[in-house]
Amino acid sequence: MNTNLKISNVTKIYPGCIANDDVSLEFNSGKIYALLGENGAGKSTLVKILSGVVIPDEGKIYLNKNILKLNSPSDAKKNDIGMVFQHFNLFETLSVFENLIIDSDEQRESLREKIDTIMKKYNFSVDLDVPVLNLSAGQKQKVEIIRCLIRSPKVLIMDEPTSVLTEQETSELFLSLKKFSEEGILIIYITHKLKEVMQLCDEVAVMRRGKLVSVSQIDNENIESLANKMVGQDLKTIKKKKENTSSEQLIKITNLNFTSEDPFETNLVDINFSLNRGECLGVAGISGNGQSELFQVLSGEIISNKNSIEFNKNFIGDLNPQERREYLMAFSPEDRLEQAAIPQMAIFENVALNNFKSSNFFNNGLINESKIKEHSKKIISEFNVNTDNIDLKSQFLSGGNLQKLIIGRELITSPDLLICFNPTWGLDVGAINYIHETLIKINEQNKSIILISTDTDELLKLSDKISVIHRGRLSKIMNAEDVTSEKLGILMGGGN
Amino acid sequence: MIKIVKRDQPSKAIFFFTPVLAIFLTLIAGGIIFYILGFKPFEALKFFFIVPIADKYGFSELLLKATPLCLIAIGLSFCFKSNNWNIGAEGQLTFGAIVSGGVALLFYDQEGFYILPIVILAGAIGGMIYASIPAILKTYFNTNEILVSLMLVYVSKLILDYLVVGPWSNPEGFNFPETRQFSDSARLPLLFEGLRIHAGIFLALAAVVISWFVFYKTYLGFQMKVSGFSLKTAKYAGYKGKKMIILVFLISGACAGLAGVGEITGPIGQLHREVSPDYGFTAIIVAFLGRLHPVGIIFASLVVAITYLGAETAQIFMQIPKYTGQVFQGMILFFLLASDYLLFFKFKFIGSKK
Repeated sequence: MNTNLKISNVTKIYPGCIANDDVSLEFNSGKIYALLGENGAGKSTLVKILSGVVIPDEGKIYLNKNILKLNSPSDAKKNDIGMVFQHFNLFETLSVFENLIIDSDEQRESLREKIDTIMKKYNFSVDLDVPVLNLSAGQKQKVEIIRCLIRSPKVLIMDEPTSVLTEQETSELFLSLKKFSEEGILIIYITHKLKEVMQLCDEVAVMRRGKLVSVSQIDNENIESLANKMVGQDLKTIKKKKENTSSEQLIKITNLNFTSEDPFETNLVDINFSLNRGECLGVAGISGNGQSELFQVLSGEIISNKNSIEFNKNFIGDLNPQERREYLMAFSPEDRLEQAAIPQMAIFENVALNNFKSSNFFNNGLINESKIKEHSKKIISEFNVNTDNIDLKSQFLSGGNLQKLIIGRELITSPDLLICFNPTWGLDVGAINYIHETLIKINEQNKSIILISTDTDELLKLSDKISVIHRGRLSKIMNAEDVTSEKLGILMGGGN
Repeated sequence: MIKIVKRDQPSKAIFFFTPVLAIFLTLIAGGIIFYILGFKPFEALKFFFIVPIADKYGFSELLLKATPLCLIAIGLSFCFKSNNWNIGAEGQLTFGAIVSGGVALLFYDQEGFYILPIVILAGAIGGMIYASIPAILKTYFNTNEILVSLMLVYVSKLILDYLVVGPWSNPEGFNFPETRQFSDSARLPLLFEGLRIHAGIFLALAAVVISWFVFYKTYLGFQMKVSGFSLKTAKYAGYKGKKMIILVFLISGACAGLAGVGEITGPIGQLHREVSPDYGFTAIIVAFLGRLHPVGIIFASLVVAITYLGAETAQIFMQIPKYTGQVFQGMILFFLLASDYLLFFKFKFIGSKK
């Protein structure tokens, strides 16, 4: 039976932003639809409306020509709309089977049989009797999918499903989704990854700032055209010039270990690497494998053995971030709003967070505001931060502008080494391009970069050398030319 | 149709306008309450807010009450601005009073210019010791400072109770729960003959100036601010975040302790059971009403001090319980929190178009 899902003139307004502005879309079963857009474009709101989590201010939803009243998630379930969220809704300590039976009204035995048939049919292999916390991200996602399939849904919505998956798990997921689609399940796939859209989907709807920008057949599109629609401007492509890097060693890490008292942190085991001037070392990995700990150990937020870090012929393992800055290191943490900057403080105050003795921001314990402001203006103009008001609280900067400010703050002192962690996470394509260009430029000025990132494309584009972090261990360092994303995927999943 | 729209950036004007609005709304609501109770609203409000400060004596009383409120609120502003929720200023005040009172009692039969400074210092140290308990528990054992500081209030009151009834009670006091009178050298001098306003007000004013300077002009203040917003950022910048937390608690405790000194060495001149009519709690309202800004706190402490006086006049002239004062304090906080909504959102009136 064919399924037809129609969204008609849906509008949802939050205080201060229009999340969905008069959106109308139509979907038919047998096809896989992509809903594409940057963070904040309104995809998630639309999906939440479809799954009954959010009630629209205006507009209607039709399923097979009947009006749907979706006032709660259970309404969506009743109407055969299944949803797999980006963040899993599973009880970690319960077994897989217990998780599946929780919201089902079927008998234990018949449910078990049903699950077995589903798993056989789609070639899923998940042990039903182990606690969920022992599963990999890919397996957890399968549990979520099975949970939807039990109800034989007509519509299956996937919200950014690959953000936690390895390459292999992603391709497995795509195979399953294609199979579901052949069987008549209508699939709506939400993402901001263009490559996946091209690989998987038949039709693509692009959203930008709450509005539907275009609906088109995938055959008429390519990555560039979609990217331009998503951002609303033409993008230049950038490529790193391969030049001979110097052979002068800048930083050397020897037998660095970190054991955490916090069970939610990852221990670092025997980290060893070295990096020359002018090089970029990319550290790939699935998030949660020790990247954050590695960043903190390198930045000095976590202090380690003095001799484990040699920088510019000085041993600095026991110094805090401020002291390391004096040796010309700079750091750009992953979390822009909670760590790298303070949203409630003015731009110039945020600039003062990176404080050198020679910068004279603070004389004899007093704040030298004019000096800081002068410095801030310089950053704003050199790094294209789109504002001229340095008294503005930084929460009013967009993510891209804030990141430019942070990178600018770290780079304006021309450090020898920049350590950055997911520098383009959640940014729009324009800002990503700018950050990438900047990073390439500092490599060309014979400065080094350690780039910890979960974005494989970014790593392949910017790195000279690449290593993969998995469960707190760093793989051997490879030359970037010899690495493919498939190979990285295997290493990221713990293979060899 | 009225639409609620998020503000791009809260304007400075709104920031200081909402406290005024809150006071105004409190007056209206107070008027309504008086009306329900069967009083003429305007007359009752006049008894509450104008009669008490109409003469010289009243004004001196106003400053007398505002002094501890201002001192404590200034100290609290350090904590609150850095997201440390010290709500135990009442306990720090009490403990400061105990320590300084104990020192003053040591010198009860002596005279000398050196006694008062020692007594004042002892009060500040007492407050600091008491405030360091929640601070250290928070930083090194991850306890919640709200609970710890609040519960310590009751501990300090019981300690005071024990001391004034037991070991420190006045041997010639016929078992009244109070200590000996301090010697004159241990007392803060009165400023005017016949009025109760004393030199403690200079302590409060000094605290205002110093706190403004430290918070807005020094590197230390900047680090406190950063640590308060985010310990992660403080760590990343290389500041010693935990030390900052302890420091703001110590400052806050010192101010509360000084307020305690003012209470016992000012007009009273001895330790007794009730050193403070909940100044430590009321100062929380003062701190927020004053927007955690030193100058704002001066005004806020005056406004809130009136509710103490007004409650007393109302009790005398209108036979309403003096706890009405607390009702007003509660309403001020309530309306302040409500009108703070205007900081981040504004109303937009739109014609009735679809």
